Amino acid sequence: MNRPCNEFMNDHRTMADATAVILTGGKSSRMGRPKALLSFDGEPLIAHVVRSLKKLFTDAVVVAAPEQELPILPVVLVRDEVAYQGPVSGIYHGLKASSQEICFVTSCDAPFLNLQLIAHLMAQIPDCDVVVPYWQERFQPLHAVYRRSIAPLLREQLDRGELRPISLYPKVRTREIHQDEIRRLDPEGLSFLNMNSPEDYEDALQMWEKKKRIGIETVPPHSVSNSVPVTVELFGVARIVAKSKTVSLSLPQGATLAHVFSALAEKLPVLVGRVINSEGLISGYACNINGLDFVRAPSAKVNSGDKILILSADAGG
Amino acid sequence: MNGFYGRLLHIDLSTGHSSWVDIEETRLRAFLGGIGLGVSLLYEYAPAGVDPFSPANPLIFTSAPLVGTGLTTTAKYAVVTKSPLTGFIADSLSSSHFALELKRLGVDALVITGRADVMAYIFIRNGKVEILAAEHLRGKSPLATEAAIRSELATPTARVAAIGKAGENKVRFATISNEGRHAGRGGVGAVMGAKNLKAIALCGDHATTVADPLGVDRIADALRARSLSSLTDKYRQIGTVANLAVFDRLGALPTRNFQQSTFDRAEALSGETLTENNFSRRHGCASCTIQCERLFKALNGEEQRLEYETLFALGPLCGIKDPEVVLQAAQLCDLYGLDTISTGGTLSWAMECSEKGLLPQARDLRFDEPNALLAAIPMIAERQGLGELLAEGSRRAALELGNDSSYWAMHVKGLELPGYEPRSLKTMALGLAVSPRGACHNRSGAYEADFSGEVDRLHSDPGRGAIVAASEDFAAVLDSLIVCKFLRKCFSDFYREGAELLSKVTGWDCSSDELKRIGERIHNMKKLFNMREGWRAEDDWLPERLLKETLPTGIAQGVGLSARDLREMIASYYQARGWNEDGVVPEKKIAELSLSGVRARASGVSD
Repeated sequence: MNRPCNEFMNDHRTMADATAVILTGGKSSRMGRPKALLSFDGEPLIAHVVRSLKKLFTDAVVVAAPEQELPILPVVLVRDEVAYQGPVSGIYHGLKASSQEICFVTSCDAPFLNLQLIAHLMAQIPDCDVVVPYWQERFQPLHAVYRRSIAPLLREQLDRGELRPISLYPKVRTREIHQDEIRRLDPEGLSFLNMNSPEDYEDALQMWEKKKRIGIETVPPHSVSNSVPVTVELFGVARIVAKSKTVSLSLPQGATLAHVFSALAEKLPVLVGRVINSEGLISGYACNINGLDFVRAPSAKVNSGDKILILSADAGG
Repeated sequence: MNGFYGRLLHIDLSTGHSSWVDIEETRLRAFLGGIGLGVSLLYEYAPAGVDPFSPANPLIFTSAPLVGTGLTTTAKYAVVTKSPLTGFIADSLSSSHFALELKRLGVDALVITGRADVMAYIFIRNGKVEILAAEHLRGKSPLATEAAIRSELATPTARVAAIGKAGENKVRFATISNEGRHAGRGGVGAVMGAKNLKAIALCGDHATTVADPLGVDRIADALRARSLSSLTDKYRQIGTVANLAVFDRLGALPTRNFQQSTFDRAEALSGETLTENNFSRRHGCASCTIQCERLFKALNGEEQRLEYETLFALGPLCGIKDPEVVLQAAQLCDLYGLDTISTGGTLSWAMECSEKGLLPQARDLRFDEPNALLAAIPMIAERQGLGELLAEGSRRAALELGNDSSYWAMHVKGLELPGYEPRSLKTMALGLAVSPRGACHNRSGAYEADFSGEVDRLHSDPGRGAIVAASEDFAAVLDSLIVCKFLRKCFSDFYREGAELLSKVTGWDCSSDELKRIGERIHNMKKLFNMREGWRAEDDWLPERLLKETLPTGIAQGVGLSARDLREMIASYYQARGWNEDGVVPEKKIAELSLSGVRARASGVSD
């Protein structure tokens, strides 16, 4: 029996139980051709964005303009009633089409999505209606988390002709994520880089290629020949959030718990903001090495073959 | 008086007479409410050496200053009496709407003495006490009794605490239950049954007043926010059943009557698996934001509450592998009003005896025999067949059976051990050995040191005495304010914040040092009660098995606990407490804690 009925899904959703909403219905007028179909890393840009988000979200909704051409995608496709009404309309239709209460909304022209940052934004939503980054003195409404329940307010906004998403924020419980907080997970703010002109597109392609090269030159830990293999065992909330009991990691020689948390965040971004953050374990969680030593300091050394247990810090009950 | 009412209601079931008795503010400030107030009243109202089943043994229900203030997790009440299982103090907590209604009566305590001629229940509405016939309720489960009483009183707002068949039959580990929750340990339900008291129904109209409403609201808001943070994730997302898989991995899960500390089917019984396969809904007490209760769906379609202690005691402790069987066994315990820990502990003792050929009348009662487990629970509640022996708890049953079967009776002072393996949790081992209540995981949080890395949990050392003493005092304050222990991590400096909270509720100028001292006073009061009731140094000890057998499996394989190490830890505890080497509270400490007055009043001597 695998009924999707546990408490997480009622009011503290995991990202796997939230929806990614991708808006594609812009005019692309400065670009001169549909942005969603630009080739990016060997595939249409919209496919690249959907594939990135599917690592984190079970469900995805793509909001397109009426009769907009799109490749076949593993998503729910909805279309604006009227073409080019702007982001408020796109967000509204995306929320309406979502089967989940919590939605992460982005656009199809943001190729550098950072899953750790998205996971962090998602982790803030339980007490809010909107979680929106504030980067370089601007809100980023198309890289934000919304509750589906605010859709009627967007509808009213559309009816009044208020086409800027930020008009919504004072009316609901909005959590702004400030620059310092963002920098911890995305130092350059690449998450908010989008492409409006052919020059932007060229720059983005070059940056992507450079990142790929760096990725190859900086050999990932798992392919280091003298790496330190460890196994992370997840218990309780961590296990349920990750839907996984164990995770194998390969760490560099001399690795510490900080390396464990960093590699774990990369492998299971769903844990970021819920169990781990950029500083290590979140309050309420504890770490035990090999079932023997309770350790918290990120500088604690780990050795080859270690079992790293992540569990609740509270043993009561 | 803010936070309190400064009076108790004494009901004598033998005469039907009830009276209001003033409680001085000095006593409330010295002991707070809840368990603190309860133990001070117990010392006074219980005649020295009273038989727990005697009409003279008082059954005391107490409220507390934070109850009814709207602070999260504070809808709780305490039941205090002399335990029929241990012969020492029984102090149990329960929670939710009955607790709020008790406070709305406008009393700080109900003291019930005597014995009704026939089965009866008490109905208190707005200060008027009625003792009503309850023969027609005999045999009903606590939940059915609650519903029947509300219906016949035509008072749907009445809140009811009741006993089941186990209490009626004076099973020594029977509970008192309200709204599906239990004042569980120590047999308080059996004391209620001995008084022919089936239930207590309350309907009050008093509002709790506080000295500084805005100040209390401010703290309440902050605590509410913290109660919804990651600090309580475990309780909010999975519930206490989350312990099982972790304890198994750490070699701390008592299995097959403490023969081992890992269970080869722990995965099937884990909180994570139950959440995935059987989760039905989340629930919680009134006035609580954490909502830790988990209801799971059994194969028969019924919902069943499950906590870690129930899961451990009716699962691994009895070798039961199937979660459905544990859910059914838990349903039976709730139906009859039985403490699940003592039920599992006594049955696992019987299973081991049976496997060794000492119980020929119960050959089927073996580990991992679901049908035998499910058949035995009603027999205990009804005191039928072997149930007559098991209803006495493992200590008395072993003494009666003889043949060295006491070796397998896993109790301290008669109270069966909870789900924390003492050999791999050395601080907890000390906490269990010295607890006035018997083997208890709630009147101290000694295991916290073991699970935090603060100490080497697999080895003992003389530093544990101070840790356990501090943990007991902390628990005593929580249990007397009353604040749920699941909120404890949400305080950054508990004594400072607790003192501020108490001051804003009562108008007293209470300091953190005063609050600490109150915790110490309450704990010493419990010990003084036990001493008066015949406590001896050998009562602060652990079952022989734990001191003779090392753990055979898991990460703690080969780990044991020597009598010498335990003795050394106990000595360090007595020293940290400022007690004599033989564990007796000295006169100097009694005077230092201003306990001479309570003791003198109880013995009728003016002080």
